[in-house]
Amino acid sequence: MSTFTELNLQKHIRFLKRHLSLLPASHQHFDVNLLAIVFYALESLSALGQDIETAYCDNLKWIRNNYVSETIGDEKISGFVGGQTLNIPDTITLSLPNTLFGLLTLILLNDKEFFDKIVDIESICRFVSSCQLKENGAFVSVLDYKSGSPSVVDSHDLRFSYIAVTILYILGCRKEEDFAKYIDVRSLVSYIMSQSCSSGGFGAYGEPHAGYTSCAVSALKLLNKLDLIQKSQKERTIDWLLERQVSNEGFMGVQDISNECYDEEDHGGFQGRENKYADTCYAFWCLNSLSILEPNYKKLCNTELVKKYLLDRTQDVLTGGFMKNDEEDADLYHTCLGITTLKLIEGECNGLLCIPSHAARKFNL
Amino acid sequence: MSFQFNIKDYDDVAVVPLTHDGEEDNELCRIMYSEEYKQVMSLVRALIKENELSVRALSLTSKAIELSPAFYTVWNYRYRILEHLLQEETLLQNGHDASYLLNKELDWLDEFTLNNPKNYQIWSYRQALLTHLHLHATFTREQPIMELMIDDDSKNYHVWSYRKWCCSHFRTYGHELTFTEKYIERDVYNNSAWNHRLSVLKQCDIDFDQELQYAKGKIEYVPQNISTWTYLRGLLESQETPKVLVDELLTFTTKFLDESSYALEFFAYLNSLPEVNEPQKAIEAYTTLATKADPIRKNLWDHKIQLLQKS
Repeated sequence: MSTFTELNLQKHIRFLKRHLSLLPASHQHFDVNLLAIVFYALESLSALGQDIETAYCDNLKWIRNNYVSETIGDEKISGFVGGQTLNIPDTITLSLPNTLFGLLTLILLNDKEFFDKIVDIESICRFVSSCQLKENGAFVSVLDYKSGSPSVVDSHDLRFSYIAVTILYILGCRKEEDFAKYIDVRSLVSYIMSQSCSSGGFGAYGEPHAGYTSCAVSALKLLNKLDLIQKSQKERTIDWLLERQVSNEGFMGVQDISNECYDEEDHGGFQGRENKYADTCYAFWCLNSLSILEPNYKKLCNTELVKKYLLDRTQDVLTGGFMKNDEEDADLYHTCLGITTLKLIEGECNGLLCIPSHAARKFNL
Repeated sequence: MSFQFNIKDYDDVAVVPLTHDGEEDNELCRIMYSEEYKQVMSLVRALIKENELSVRALSLTSKAIELSPAFYTVWNYRYRILEHLLQEETLLQNGHDASYLLNKELDWLDEFTLNNPKNYQIWSYRQALLTHLHLHATFTREQPIMELMIDDDSKNYHVWSYRKWCCSHFRTYGHELTFTEKYIERDVYNNSAWNHRLSVLKQCDIDFDQELQYAKGKIEYVPQNISTWTYLRGLLESQETPKVLVDELLTFTTKFLDESSYALEFFAYLNSLPEVNEPQKAIEAYTTLATKADPIRKNLWDHKIQLLQKS
């Protein structure tokens, strides 16, 4: 990948591989979401053109071990747990995010056998279905560990709506009637639309947020429901997204004096909300949303400056990886989204699923 | 039984140890657990399996959550324990008082929240407590933790969202104008505070003209601030727009066209409204944005000019 110098490329690869090997006790807080770590690292390596299919084929069994089934009443539900610490007898610990990370990781590793022979599609879809709330159509991410009803202590924001829809899409749902076999599409869509903000974008309680915006438009796209966003609201959302690109030119530079969350060095990067610093991950959430709403988004957005921001400002040329901003150490999440944004700009990423296009194509996704 | 975690209270538990399933060579992300982590997780897994709903189980979940804040099953388990301890017969049996238990829980949660400000579980757990278990909860009890958290990170999305939830849950909006004003005075760029103010306006009994003056004053103070202009537009859109108000805002906005890109954008928007219908003025504003005020978005502004020229 010519985006990186050979030296930086090797540093990124080493940084990513290190996260897949032995980890110190300071990583214990990732223990219940290990599949997230595995996904971020393998997705990034795959995007960097590494042959992960060969390099990690011996690890398939360990990844598949996190695929588990439970019984609620007489019904079987299946999904992934985030790691073996969650494998507790007589206890429901599946989660929607870990299920998505598990499925995507096996797609990245081209594990056809899993999808052809092992996976029980109906029971995963039943799990997704069980996570939907009757009162508003939104999704929680986990079920009560004994009763199997939606967990009362979990939140139900747009992330889980996106994840639920994406899991169903991966497992073959395409048309509305496919989705409607498992979930109440109408109430889900009305929940998503209820999170639309009057100033453009989507978010909780009226404050637009780039991450939630990406979840909302991705879910609507997968459900073929993008046209529910009215023309004027779509235009405002595109404007809102484009205005998240931080600039130090023209009248923008004057903020330097008084705005504590403004840094002229952020030029070209994206912020997640108004009057916040730019941050690596929001380049992905904003550009992905834009590319879904406006396939010709590059005619509207200066993506060369985004590349420059990522490569010159948040790429960590010492340790490898990408940082959130120039103040913190590189971390896996921002590394994944930094690399993936660069691939998205080059047209080599399936932004809806956040995996390289070549991996998605192998599964007709 | 004490609420303090003491390892000796669990001597009789048949632990469910953490396993590495024998395939050590093929394991990814193998964490070198601390002894404490292994011990606590083996215990909590055992009690979750048996679904033991007891005071010692509650103490154990505090320890487990401290070591693994994202362990969603433990949060769920803790809630079920508390729910059980609050049942009348359990209260009698243990000699507990319901409000004592609930206040203790909120105190614990406050402390945990302050140490884990970015945790995703804390606010939804709190909402569940207040919705289903703590039937005498008050907005007043919630105020200090929200203020402490916002003082620490004035744009914390979770806390502002929680505040909006609280307002709606307790049906109280009376404090909100003063509350947002405090944070706007501190930092006029605080978008969350402005957004909160706009979202509660409909519930508050406000004097529209006074609110308009407030927004204008903040724009005069710092013209190049997106949050205040968004607020002004939100105010305008919250009303049946009388032409006289639009004219007043046009005059007001004109004062800032040489220094604020957001003024230019708002000016273009006003001129595109059917009641004004001055597309040429909007085009001029977009041209200034494209060439001088906000050139990074030149393509967007040119696109807007094309749309106006077409219609």
